Amino acid sequence: MLETDILIIGAGPAGSMAAKHAALNGAKVLLVDKKSEIGAPKRCAEGVSKDGLKKLGITPNPRWITSDIDKVRLVSPNGTDVLLDEDKVKLSEMGYVLERKVFDKYMTMDAARAGAQIMVKTLATGMSKVNDGIIVSLEHMGNAFEIKAKIVIGADGPESRVGRWAGLKTSLKPGNMESCAQFEMVGVDMKQPGCLELIFGSVAPGGYAWIFPKGQDVANVGLGILSTKTDKTAYQHLLEFVDTYPGTQNAQPVELNVGGDPVAGLHKELVTDNVLITGDAAGMVNPLDGGGIISGMTGGCIAGEVASKAIAEGDYSKKNLKKYQKRCQKEIGDSFKKYLKAKEYLLSLSDKELDSIADAFNESDFDRISPTDLLKVLVKVSPKAMLKLGKLF
Amino acid sequence: MVSENHTINKQKGDVMIVKEWCMYCGECAGVCPRNLIQVRELTLNFNEKECKDCKICVQVCPVKALEKQVV
Repeated sequence: MLETDILIIGAGPAGSMAAKHAALNGAKVLLVDKKSEIGAPKRCAEGVSKDGLKKLGITPNPRWITSDIDKVRLVSPNGTDVLLDEDKVKLSEMGYVLERKVFDKYMTMDAARAGAQIMVKTLATGMSKVNDGIIVSLEHMGNAFEIKAKIVIGADGPESRVGRWAGLKTSLKPGNMESCAQFEMVGVDMKQPGCLELIFGSVAPGGYAWIFPKGQDVANVGLGILSTKTDKTAYQHLLEFVDTYPGTQNAQPVELNVGGDPVAGLHKELVTDNVLITGDAAGMVNPLDGGGIISGMTGGCIAGEVASKAIAEGDYSKKNLKKYQKRCQKEIGDSFKKYLKAKEYLLSLSDKELDSIADAFNESDFDRISPTDLLKVLVKVSPKAMLKLGKLF
Repeated sequence: MVSENHTINKQKGDVMIVKEWCMYCGECAGVCPRNLIQVRELTLNFNEKECKDCKICVQVCPVKALEKQVV
């Protein structure tokens, strides 16, 4: 049987970061992914903050950056739009829209260069705890085999099977899983370049629609909905949105993506004996905007560091791995709790109330564009929001 | 579990039908309360024996590719 120190299941950004940092710290690392192509198909709108990449020590690479973002347009149900740009916002350092099918592979390459072994088209099918580790059963091209690992890191996305095999409660209720559909389209009419558009209201019940530009007239056009708030599928809502939205009247799709996005915040249990979970599998997604690349990679980095230290110490117990949970709670989970409350509040608003908030926003000033800063203004302009969210922001 | 592009074999009990337009995104697997769904690269396996018929998977699918059929 193959043996390794750390087996990481899932080679998305979180899993690859975990593999890189674990390998850099001297652990023997095996990273597996069920797909034949890491990073594809994407189930993501591909937006990241520049600041987030910088904090992770990732140098921007033109191979995986499609466009530079320095503005955000928020659109309320009746079309009232709030443009957050250099005039309105004092700082304009913002973000990029990535090409995930290149970015993800590059992150895995970094893990490989750090010393991790990679296996593609390899599916984990189950796990069992033994005295000194975990035996994971896997399949590759019809061959079933087993790997014994001292520590397993579950980075297997919203499916989050690894966590559940380990006895962690990571199952998501449908009201906490955004059901998303997106077209990558050409011929999108962008009012100006470098601007993200977020559209709220009944176009996307329980979520929002987005236009994330990828350069020229190309953009990711998608939306997330909660299946508990509508009888239509995400795809049906997407077709209606594309049909009626002014910017997509002449647009044609070249790619359709679908997937789930966990928006319940950080899971309560991230650790058990010999097992850590990270990324989407651990709920490392901002409940308000659904973004999870930076937070997933942050969690992955912490997972790699804690796991490799545990290997060096020879202690893979839950007690020793608990520090992973503590660090993630501090660096990721605490802010998510606030965003969760903000999301629940925004979901409770009618189209009309959203329209009046947009009007009030248009008369306000902002320091920066970040979810926290937008919410601070929301609390200032809406007395109802002040009541519900005032203490948080 | 039955895929609609294969011949359907008559089975006892409820059957989960996976339509050919399933995109293997894995959302259903994430919400199954009993962890019964295995989403592979181009196939989906479903443990019908343990299914309690909650139909949450059917509800969340972004493209309505799952159907629980009472046989």
